[in-house]
Amino acid sequence: MTAKPKTIWDKLEDIPREILYGLLLVCIIVPMLFPIGFPVPISAEVKRWYDTIEALPAGSVVMVDFGYSGGGEPELAPFAVATYAQLFRKADIKVVTMSTASEGPLLWEKAMTELNIARFGKEYGKDYIHIGYIAGTETAMAAVGKSISATTTTDYKGTPLSKYSIMQGVDSAEDFALLIEYTTGGDQSEGWVRQWYTSYKTPYLCCVLAMMVPTMLPYQKAGQIVSVVSGAQAGQIEILVKAPGRGVKSADVITVTHLLCIALVVVGNIAYFGKKFSGGKS
Amino acid sequence: MSIIMKKSVPIALVFITAVIFLLEYFVLPTELKSTVTMLQNWGIILTAFTLGFGAVNMFVFHGKQVSRRAKGQWPYSLWLLIILVLFTLVGVIMGATSTQYSWLYNSSYFALSATVYSSLGFYMTSGIYRALRAKNAESALLLIVGVIVLARNAPALAAQFPILVNMDSWLSSVPTTSAQRGIMIGAALGAIALGLRTMIGRETGFLGQTTEGEKGG
Repeated sequence: MTAKPKTIWDKLEDIPREILYGLLLVCIIVPMLFPIGFPVPISAEVKRWYDTIEALPAGSVVMVDFGYSGGGEPELAPFAVATYAQLFRKADIKVVTMSTASEGPLLWEKAMTELNIARFGKEYGKDYIHIGYIAGTETAMAAVGKSISATTTTDYKGTPLSKYSIMQGVDSAEDFALLIEYTTGGDQSEGWVRQWYTSYKTPYLCCVLAMMVPTMLPYQKAGQIVSVVSGAQAGQIEILVKAPGRGVKSADVITVTHLLCIALVVVGNIAYFGKKFSGGKS
Repeated sequence: MSIIMKKSVPIALVFITAVIFLLEYFVLPTELKSTVTMLQNWGIILTAFTLGFGAVNMFVFHGKQVSRRAKGQWPYSLWLLIILVLFTLVGVIMGATSTQYSWLYNSSYFALSATVYSSLGFYMTSGIYRALRAKNAESALLLIVGVIVLARNAPALAAQFPILVNMDSWLSSVPTTSAQRGIMIGAALGAIALGLRTMIGRETGFLGQTTEGEKGG
């Protein structure tokens, strides 16, 4: 008994995964090597993020949580770097960073290197600081909100916080004008709402992985988060901040890969219906 | 160990701690602030301790795998132990913020972690192609919504067809948010029930293994 030869519909309905992976690889590599320069429209969420930072008055202190792990770095770091550029361009804004992820301090250093912080003339300990990884996630958020000095006495390098002028008069959530979160974890992104927004009404900007955005939207709609964005929107903030980087470069890749996915969905459905109407079973 | 030490004392500790936190949050924020701060710091220290404890546990478990030459496992266990020792030594001797430790992290774990996460894109492409088929009304709906969201998230398409932004905005604001709210409210009610049951000793999962008699309730 010989097997029935495969029709064109059969072949199109079940394209081998190796071909799909190959096509995706081409769609990633080609726009990276030869940028197309597709337009990058600014979404309302990213504009709100940018405007919130722009509206910070001089003398404001901002808390940033570097709460992502290495896997999320390619998506979240470009957004974080562009936001730091915006913060550091503003006069007299102090930035206190902490990490609710153990890899946070290392990834923060990496981001600072990418940012080339020297060009902003900002000084560590005076204009910005990293107070280290604080274990416990929501417990850490709540404790830091109550008192930083009671929670940790050193920065991420182990130097006493009392040696840094930036920490003078900064101890609890009430001293911060804004909270910014970059995370790959739902515990962190939702935890800040519970521990800081609910208790202290600290305005909160939240940057998460694209797949996490739907879970965070109810908080934004309820006014508990000013803006929820995904790291994939980094190109938009880079354009607003006028600091093009990895985000703008990846916008072309995102467009081309998404077009590939749509094309594959169309092909799959044409094959499905083609087979169905030509008498084959699907 | 007596049932009092095994069950009653832990439940009493949980109950007292929970009452202190609830009182501080809702009734006496100023009066109980220092007590709660102290308890939270204990929590942070305990969490940090569990990280170290986890490393020791991993060392013991994989050490046994190597010493027993567990088939198909021991080379991986040995490799894990080598990396564990290497990171620990460099971190302790040179410092966790040293150039050497950063180099080690960036050129090994970070690169691998980013690669593994990025590889999801390949599986998702294959999954989208195979799953989004209009086989019935439900899957047709999923297909339409999926294509709209895909198209909207392609920056160039969103710029070319602004209607996609409006459609995605409606999808996010109405069906997605309302469904997500339902899930969140349900989970929150469940968490409250679980919290209350734990407080009064009806939920004993946190006590570890107990006999049926010890579980009670």
